[in-house]
Amino acid sequence: MTGGFGHVLDLITRVRGVRGAMLVAGDDGVVVAEQLMEGIKGAAVAALAASLAGRLHRAMEAAGVGASVFWHLQADRGTLLVVPAVASGILVVAVAEPDVNIGLVRLELLRAAETAG
Amino acid sequence: MTTRAVESWTLQPLTEFVREASARLVLLMTPAGQVLAQSGFSRAVDVMSAAALGAAIVASTNELAKQLRQPPFAALNHQGRRHGIFLSTFALERGTVVVLAVYDLDVSSLGLVQLFYEQLAADLTAASPKGGAPKQVLAADFERELSDSLNTLFGR
Amino acid sequence: MADDIRALSTQLAQDPQSLVFLRLADALRRKGQLDAALRVALNGLERHPHLADAHDLYARVLTDKHDYARAFDEWDMALRIAPNHTGALKGLAFLYFKVGDLAQAEAHLDLARRVEPDDPTITQAIEMVRGGASPPSPEPAPASEPAATAASPTAAVSAPALDESRVFAGLEGAQEGLLLLDAAGRVLGGALRHATGGADVTDAVAAYLAGVSQEAARTTKLLGLGAWTGLSAEGRAGNVHLAQPSPEALLLVVRERGVPLGRLAILAQRATAMARRWLERQG
Repeated sequence: MTGGFGHVLDLITRVRGVRGAMLVAGDDGVVVAEQLMEGIKGAAVAALAASLAGRLHRAMEAAGVGASVFWHLQADRGTLLVVPAVASGILVVAVAEPDVNIGLVRLELLRAAETAG
Repeated sequence: MTTRAVESWTLQPLTEFVREASARLVLLMTPAGQVLAQSGFSRAVDVMSAAALGAAIVASTNELAKQLRQPPFAALNHQGRRHGIFLSTFALERGTVVVLAVYDLDVSSLGLVQLFYEQLAADLTAASPKGGAPKQVLAADFERELSDSLNTLFGR
Repeated sequence: MADDIRALSTQLAQDPQSLVFLRLADALRRKGQLDAALRVALNGLERHPHLADAHDLYARVLTDKHDYARAFDEWDMALRIAPNHTGALKGLAFLYFKVGDLAQAEAHLDLARRVEPDDPTITQAIEMVRGGASPPSPEPAPASEPAATAASPTAAVSAPALDESRVFAGLEGAQEGLLLLDAAGRVLGGALRHATGGADVTDAVAAYLAGVSQEAARTTKLLGLGAWTGLSAEGRAGNVHLAQPSPEALLLVVRERGVPLGRLAILAQRATAMARRWLERQG
């Protein structure tokens, strides 16, 4: 399901190591558009990424470092990378292998956020 | 927050759903409004009102879907300024179960509630007693059953 | 010695801007007159804030006074000014050894040896670190005098360990940008100031972080990504990194926007190692 955002998600998913990319409604935690490999549960990614984004946002505001521009959650078997598109409330999310080129994915997420925002 | 069940097999799945989805109020009931379990309610009158209204919403939207010649809606979500209300049904061998969940927008979201609702439905399906239709409730027994249910739901 | 001190004091009085304060403070330090040494070192540092030797000297006096946290900061500053300053490298090696970080101690001594391969004290210190014994407390190397080789009597091996209640003692930003919490969000060490306002936000941030880590753990578990190992975030006014030194503890590192996430992660690794050791000592 890409709903017209296919080209935006393409740029992210073509980075080696990215297993899926999606646009998520930040407030609701529901999928707006997705391009996912087999085995990635889109609804779960959307809900959990949005929930974590909300909690992280509150912690960062409390610390005085302001709203997040980019964040990534590293784990043993994968990583979750997120860029909030502030104006629209959309989150651009990528799920990737643990050794993915984070800098490259970050760039594509930022570009996607500009387009989606 | 207290979670109580008339039908004990609903208790564990409901407790987990409340925790994971950070739901504020939850009712499990039949389409007729008979409550199987509740979480977060402090007054019997609130349970009765919510159950009656929830059942009415499900009935109206099912009728609407019929008018549109569509299958019943999978779920409904109403979003207010501070809270959301999620309503959905799923089928068990013994009949349909209606789930009404109220969530605080600051701590939860539609996505989370939907995500863990799927798990709740699966857990309830696995836990529900197999075989035999639920017994018919006679009007004469209804008041007593309702009274017993409310007592159970509020730990009295 | 007393004559030396008098002579040096006279020279300094005649020319307060001169570098003789380095020798004077060191002489006072060796005599055990630490307060006087401190005053002289500080006065000299105020006049020569960009002199690595001045920071090195001040660090030594602080070490003698067992103020290891500030000593670390001063040696760190000395290295920023003069990355090859062997005195600072040896000083940091000494402090790392004291906190049990033998790898860092040896790494700093190796760097020092590359700068001064003929300095026997460095080789000796490396052997001691590898053998597990404490290296001698570093000696000053003022520009006008050859380095001394004897260990300072006021920084003996039997000096008390670093204040264990200060988890990050010695690490840059220990008092402002590092926070160690238990799983319930209670502060175990470090502190945090608002990145733009400067107010103490330790408790407020701690309260939110427990929820962040629980959500991070749930997220990676439910998505089949395994156990989470770190969470890095770029904010509009600063960057943060969250790690788990142990299953029951959380570590937050906060730095200004100019510190890239990669560097932040390295700093977080160091802080995580220190936190882990501290937690192990708490039992």
